[in-house]
Amino acid sequence: MAEANKNIRNFCIIAHIDHGKSTIADRIMELTGQVAHRDMEEQLLDSMDIERERGITIKLAPVRMFYTAKDGQEYEFNLIDTPGHVDFTYEVSRSLAACEGAVLVVDATQGVEAQTLANVYLALDNDLEIVPVINKIDLQSARVEETKAEIEDVIGLDCSEAPCVSAKEGTNMQDVLEAVVKFVPPPKGDTEAPLKALIFDSYYDNYKGVILFVRMKDGAVKAGDRVKAFLSDKIYEVTEVGAFSPRLQPKQILLAGEVGYIAASIKSIEDVAVGDTVISADRPAAEPLPGYKKVQPVVFCGIYPLDGSKFLDLKEAILKLKLNDASLTFEPDNSVALGFGFRCGFLGLLHMEIIQERIEREFNLDIITTAPSVSYLVHKTDGSEFFVDNPSHLPPAAEIEYMEEPIVKAEVYSPPDYLGSVMDLCQDKRGVFKDMTYLDTRRVKLEYRLPLNEIVYDFFDELKSRTKGYASFDYEIAGYERSKLVKLDILLNGDACDALSTIVHEDRAYARGRMLCENLKDAIPRQLFEIPVQAAIGGKIIARETVKAVRKDVLAKCYGGDITRKKKLLEKQKEGKKRMRQIGTVEVPSEVFMQILKTNKDK
Amino acid sequence: MPGIYIHIPFCKHKCTYCDFTSFPDKLNFAEAYMACLYKEMGLRAEELKGVTFDTVYIGGGTPSVIDPAYIYGAMKQIKKLFKLAKNPEVTIEMNPGTVNENKIATYKRAGVDRFSIGLQTAIDGQLQELGRIHTVRDYLYCTSLLKGENFSADVMLGLRGQTKEDVRKTIAIAVGSGAKHISMYALTPEDGTPIYTQYLNGELPDGDEVRELYDYGYSLLKEAGFTRYEVSNFCRKGYESRHNLNYWRRGEYIGFGVSASSFFYGRRFTNTMNLDEYIKCILSGFLPVVENEKVEEADAKFEFVMLALRTSEGISAEKYKAAFGSDWREDFASALKKTAQFMETVGDITRIKEEWLYVQNQILIQFAP
Repeated sequence: MAEANKNIRNFCIIAHIDHGKSTIADRIMELTGQVAHRDMEEQLLDSMDIERERGITIKLAPVRMFYTAKDGQEYEFNLIDTPGHVDFTYEVSRSLAACEGAVLVVDATQGVEAQTLANVYLALDNDLEIVPVINKIDLQSARVEETKAEIEDVIGLDCSEAPCVSAKEGTNMQDVLEAVVKFVPPPKGDTEAPLKALIFDSYYDNYKGVILFVRMKDGAVKAGDRVKAFLSDKIYEVTEVGAFSPRLQPKQILLAGEVGYIAASIKSIEDVAVGDTVISADRPAAEPLPGYKKVQPVVFCGIYPLDGSKFLDLKEAILKLKLNDASLTFEPDNSVALGFGFRCGFLGLLHMEIIQERIEREFNLDIITTAPSVSYLVHKTDGSEFFVDNPSHLPPAAEIEYMEEPIVKAEVYSPPDYLGSVMDLCQDKRGVFKDMTYLDTRRVKLEYRLPLNEIVYDFFDELKSRTKGYASFDYEIAGYERSKLVKLDILLNGDACDALSTIVHEDRAYARGRMLCENLKDAIPRQLFEIPVQAAIGGKIIARETVKAVRKDVLAKCYGGDITRKKKLLEKQKEGKKRMRQIGTVEVPSEVFMQILKTNKDK
Repeated sequence: MPGIYIHIPFCKHKCTYCDFTSFPDKLNFAEAYMACLYKEMGLRAEELKGVTFDTVYIGGGTPSVIDPAYIYGAMKQIKKLFKLAKNPEVTIEMNPGTVNENKIATYKRAGVDRFSIGLQTAIDGQLQELGRIHTVRDYLYCTSLLKGENFSADVMLGLRGQTKEDVRKTIAIAVGSGAKHISMYALTPEDGTPIYTQYLNGELPDGDEVRELYDYGYSLLKEAGFTRYEVSNFCRKGYESRHNLNYWRRGEYIGFGVSASSFFYGRRFTNTMNLDEYIKCILSGFLPVVENEKVEEADAKFEFVMLALRTSEGISAEKYKAAFGSDWREDFASALKKTAQFMETVGDITRIKEEWLYVQNQILIQFAP
C-alpha cells in the first residue's frame, strides 16, 4: 500500500448567492500565484458569459494551485467551485464528492441564509470537513460576532478559529489558506490499488474528444493505459492526463488523491456518464465508487426551432449542452403546432432559462419554448399509472381515475415586516402553512407545503418583488399528493393548439384560461376571419375572447410611384408569414408562443 | 397606351400628411426647375420617338401654384418632342386655394382637358388641421370656373374626429359641384409627417372606423350614380382616369421631374428626390435616375395580378396570356386555391369579390413571389 500524497487538499467553496464565493476563489488563486493579478479577469472561475452577466456560477471549473504554508511545506490545492443556486444542488453534490473539505463563506452583513444551510447539509452528508469563513468584514453593516454566533447556533460549527476576511480588499486571505491546510484532511487512497477515479464532470473538446474531470480515489493513470467506465463495456486508450491550471495542463501521471482530467479519444458522452467510475481495463477494480445520487429533473418544457428547418441544428446544440450538463434530459417531441422539437427536463426554472439562453447564444438559434410543466402521476381507470410531463400526452379525462402532483417542502426566510405578503403569496399558490420560527429579531423562517407547479411559474420573482428582494427561498421535493388537476386546452377558431395546453389545478383553471385568452387576443394579428380564442377543459368552454377580423388594409392610393414600394411591402409580408405557425385555419406568429409564456409571469 | 407624368415639386404650404417631394419654400426655383424639366424631356426624346403617348398627368406638389405659363411651356415641349395620341387625356392637379380664371384658361390653351382638385374634406376645421391652404368656399369658387369641364375631386377619410356626417357633407359638395370623378381614399400616416404623431398617439380613427366611413361614403356615391372602378376611385360612366387605368393595367409610363417614377422597357426607375441634385444632373446633361431595376418575370407577373385586382376590370386571362405567354391560373395555382373563396370569376375575368376588396393585401400576399 502506498498512501496518497499527504500534502494535497481537495476542497470546494460553498456560499449563498452574493456572499462572495467567486471573489474568494479569485483571491486564493492570486495568493498562490496561480494567476497573476494583472492577467485576471474579474471572477475567473465563472467562465461562461451568462454566468458572469448574472453573477452566478453554474459550471464547475476546477483549478490546481501550490501553496507554501507557514509550516514551510508546499501543498497542492485543488479548488472545485460550486454553483450557489437551488436548481444546481445536483452540481454541488458532484463537486462535494470530489473533495475532503469545504470552505463555507458567510456574508457578515447577511448571516446564514437558506441556501447556505442546504449546501452545508449536503457537505455534511458527504463527510466533508467544513471551514467557516466570515466575508465582507470591510462593510459598515458587517456584524462579525453575530454572524459567528449564528453559524454556531444554526449549523453547530465552531467558529473560534474562523478567518474573518474581506475578499474584495484582500484582507486576511492568508488565514483562509492556512485554515484549509490545517482543517481539511488530506485525501485517503492507495496509489498502488486498482484504478478508481470518480467522473465529476466532462465536456467535449473538438480535438481530444470527451475530457473527463476526475477525482482519483485509488491507483494511478497515465497516457497509454487502457481504461473503461464501470458501467460501460467500451475500452479506451488514454491519450493524455493532466491537471487544471485552470486551463488543461498535461502531466505524466495522475495519482490517487489528485484531481485532474483524462482524455482518451472518447467520442460519445453516453459511454462515460458523469458519476460513473473510471477503472483499468487490464486490472479492473471490483466495485465502483458510490458515485452520487442522480437528481431527477423537476421542470419540463418543449423546445422547438423557430425555423422548422433548423431541427437538426437544435438537436446538435442540445447534444453538445448535454455533454457538460448531465442534469439536462431530453427526448424528441412532435407538436402539431410547432413541428419537431425536444421535450427537455431541467433541475429548475433557472436551469431552464440558462439552457434556453445558451442554445440561443452559443449556437445562435432562435427557439420557441412551451410553458414550463412538472411531472404528474396519472392513475388510469384501468389501474395503470404513469408519469406525464407533457400536457398533450395526457389521456382523455374519462380514462383518468385521478392524478397526483409533486409537492415541495418550502422554507421561506423573510424579515418580519414582509410576513403578511409572503403568507398571502403562499396562500395564493395553494400553499399549506406548516410552521413559523423566529430565527432572530430580523428573520423569520416560514415552512409551507407547496405544489411544485405553482412554483415553476413565477413564485420566485413574485417572492422577491413582494419583499423588496429580502426574502430567500429553498425547497425540496416532498413527494406526490392527490390533486384535482385538469388539462386546460386553448382553441383557436375551434382547433386545439397542443403547444398551448397546460395542466392546472381545477381552482386555477378559470383564471388561467381567462388570462391566456386575453393575452392571445392581443398577440395574434387580425386575419380575414374573426377568430374565437377559447379556453376549454375537456370540451367545456370556460373562457372566450375574439380576435376581430381585419376590415381594411388597402384604401390608400396606388399610382405610378407607389407600385414598387407596394410590391416590396407585400413580398416582405409574405416573408413574414413564413415565420408563422398554422394552427388549423389560424396563422400564429412564432413570437406569440413566447409572449404568451412570458406574460404568464405578469398576472 | 403609355403615359407621361410630370412632377411639379412646389407648393405654398406642406400638408400635415404629405410625404411627397414638394418644397414649400423654393418657389423661386420654379423657373430653373422648369427649364430643367424641358431639358430632361429633350434627353429622352430620341429614345422615345417611336412611342405614342395617350395621357399626360401633371402632378405634385401643387402644379397650380406656379405660373401657368410654365405648364403651357411643358405641354408645348411635350407636343414638340413626343408623339401624342389623337385625343390625349391631359390632367392637372390643382389646389383650390391657388386657382383663378386666367390659370384655367391657360391650362386649357395648353391642352389640359381634365382637372384633379384636392378638396379632401368639406369641413373647414379639418382642412385647417391638415394644413390645407384653402377653404370649402375656395373649392366652390374653383369648381365654378370649371363648369362643364371634366374634373375630379379628392376626398380623404380617416381624419381626426371625422364623422359620417362629415363624410356626407363632403360627398354632397363634391357631387354637387359637378365632379365627374371622385377619388376617395384613406389617409395613410407616413413616418416623418406631422400627422404620424397623431397616429402614434391613437388620435386617428382605426381601421375599423375608417372602413365604416368608407362603406358609408361608397353607399352615397352609388346613390349619386357613381361606380367604383378601382379600390379608391369612383366616377360617372365613361369618366375613368385613363392615365391611372394605365398604371393598373401595368402599362408603360415615363416620368419627368424630381422624384418622378417611370416604367419602360421592362424596368422601373426613379429620379432623384433631391432638387439640387436633379438640377445639377440635368445641367450636366445626365439623366437624374437614382434607382433603376429590371423587373424579373416572377415580379412582373405578380405586379400584373396585384394591380389588376385593384380594379373592377379584374384580371383578364387573355390579357395576361398576351403579356406573359402563360396561363395565370397555372402560374398562381396554389395562391388561387388558397384564396378561391374571396374571388369571383366570370368567363375570362377574375376579380376580388366586393366584400373582400378592402382587405386585399391579405389576399395578395398569397400571390407574392
